[in-house]
Amino acid sequence: MNIVVCVKQVPDPETPASQFAVDEAAKRVIPAQGIAPVVNPYDPQATEAALRLRDAAGEGTITVISLGPDSARDAIKHALAMGADEGILLSDPSFEGIDNFQTAAILAETIKKVGIPDLILMGRAAADWDMGVVPIGVAQLLDIPCVTVAKAVEVGDGNITVERVLDDGFETVETTLPAVVSVSNEFGEPRYPQLRQIMLAAKKNVEVWDKESLGLDPASVGSDNRLLALEALYVPKVESNVEVIQGDSPEEKARNLALKLREAKLI
Amino acid sequence: MPRDHAADILDPIAKEVVNNVGVWVDKEVVPVASEFEHADEFPEPLVNGMAEMGLFAIKIPEQYGGLDLSFECYAGVCIELARGWMSLAGVLNTHVLVAWAINAYGTEEQKENYLRRMVEPEIRAALSITEPDAGSDAQAIKTQARRDGDDYLISGQKMWVTNGQRAGVYLVLTKTEMDTTPPHKGISAFLVDAGTEGFTVGRKLEKLGYKGVETTELSFENARVPALNILGGSEGSGFQHVMSALEVGRINVASRGVGVAQAAFEDSIHYAQQRTAFGKPIAQHQAQQLRLAEMATKIRAARLLTFDAARKKDAGQRTDLDAGMAKLYATEVAQEVVLEAMRIHGGVGYSNELPLERYYRDAPVMVIAEGTSDIQKLVIARNLLREYQI
Repeated sequence: MNIVVCVKQVPDPETPASQFAVDEAAKRVIPAQGIAPVVNPYDPQATEAALRLRDAAGEGTITVISLGPDSARDAIKHALAMGADEGILLSDPSFEGIDNFQTAAILAETIKKVGIPDLILMGRAAADWDMGVVPIGVAQLLDIPCVTVAKAVEVGDGNITVERVLDDGFETVETTLPAVVSVSNEFGEPRYPQLRQIMLAAKKNVEVWDKESLGLDPASVGSDNRLLALEALYVPKVESNVEVIQGDSPEEKARNLALKLREAKLI
Repeated sequence: MPRDHAADILDPIAKEVVNNVGVWVDKEVVPVASEFEHADEFPEPLVNGMAEMGLFAIKIPEQYGGLDLSFECYAGVCIELARGWMSLAGVLNTHVLVAWAINAYGTEEQKENYLRRMVEPEIRAALSITEPDAGSDAQAIKTQARRDGDDYLISGQKMWVTNGQRAGVYLVLTKTEMDTTPPHKGISAFLVDAGTEGFTVGRKLEKLGYKGVETTELSFENARVPALNILGGSEGSGFQHVMSALEVGRINVASRGVGVAQAAFEDSIHYAQQRTAFGKPIAQHQAQQLRLAEMATKIRAARLLTFDAARKKDAGQRTDLDAGMAKLYATEVAQEVVLEAMRIHGGVGYSNELPLERYYRDAPVMVIAEGTSDIQKLVIARNLLREYQI
């Protein structure tokens, strides 16, 4: 069973809010000083899903792909340390500032070049922009099915059964392979890399593919060719007013709270 | 606040390993350490997690199935473990130290027999030097090994044996000759298997801190051990072998000092920004700032001394001076820092709801074990006097 896992390196979501800043004029996030980027927290779950499926099948190759600067190699190395087989870094100066459409297009071209696998797995969203649209874009461009926000996956003979997370519960769907599946945190804890795997991963070569090696049309990539226009980027101001609900007894306080909530049309 | 677990580590593989161990400690150890510690319960799931990652194989050569990672890496791993819970680095210490001694001084048969089983580990190892009447003066041990055909019969009492209850093999310091001059020429170290007839593991000692990991007595009554189990195969080198192995232990304990101090400092600098007094966070009061600055500077110095000693050991250099300095300084710093952390926290630091009281109880054992601070100073001074001899 051959699987492609797409991973992304993101600013550490644990960065304190006080150190988060944006350049409103340039419409970009200013990286927090001294805090290294990390692998997107949902992506190890996608890698974990790939490892379990490969190991259950007893054969196959897991190829990890990441689009980003040279430091994104660390996100690939993490997946290799978990047990993935091969890594490809998609890196080119023109990839900076691209939109989700271009990301999906570059990933789809890469996957075609690698050879369409049985399954393509990604995290449910990247923790930086939290949009979760790239899996759908890649599936669209490869003309294969896409199932998002998976909590469990089971591969059959040419098909896959996915338990999806909904706002108010779960649903189970089935589709044909090859397919794209985005994996949610409900899938379960990813394994910790073993020291031996870390050492093997360190020795593995991560191929770097740029715009030319992918044969991309220069007019299709780059921040000047975005289809998604970023109108404004700012940190919203959060204002909170605290009102202590008065009352002589817990019952009266609860009643007064309920009245306030009704007044505000919240209940 | 995200932190670089592998700061100051130069080797890329070591960096990666230490980062992963740091993540594991944050997620798996920190939330449960105090619970295990207060119950004085052996942390089976955590030790299993360490084994699954491969930590027990960290210093075993690849030819015996181990990972053969650097001392720099080992120091970084121990700092991270101790940052979560000092006892975990203690569980690892005697195992790594004995594995190192077997690899450095053991016969090929001993390496094949023990090192392969210590990788997974199928067996864990303990070190036994101290006796009721012999601590820092290790040459004064009374446990005797008398030759009996192809075997030796060991008799005596041992104390303060870390991992005493769960070890599969014990490196035991004995006297094979009682009246040699100097005394260490009559000392030999034996590899004694758990379950050997005449060898019993005694009571678990109750302690102020360093809980979870068991510290026991050992009793030998004509315990029959094959002559083939003398480390290195011949009598008289045990003292030198074990003292040399203790350098590995000193890197471990120095790292533990750094880890515990780091944990106490991080808790303090977070708390100081949350706790207000006299109208502002206490971190805005100069008295606390001076305290935090001193704590961080000392921890950094201790960290760099520890990595320096580890890297010298990796380079094959003699490290009794460097490991001694690292162990002396890092453990004394840990002791100072946990007290300063207590001052910053005030009353809440004294409660057992925060881990600080655990760090406070864990710090003293580090200035005692693996050679007290006084012994480290003697080792350092002897080296310096040799170096600067006129």
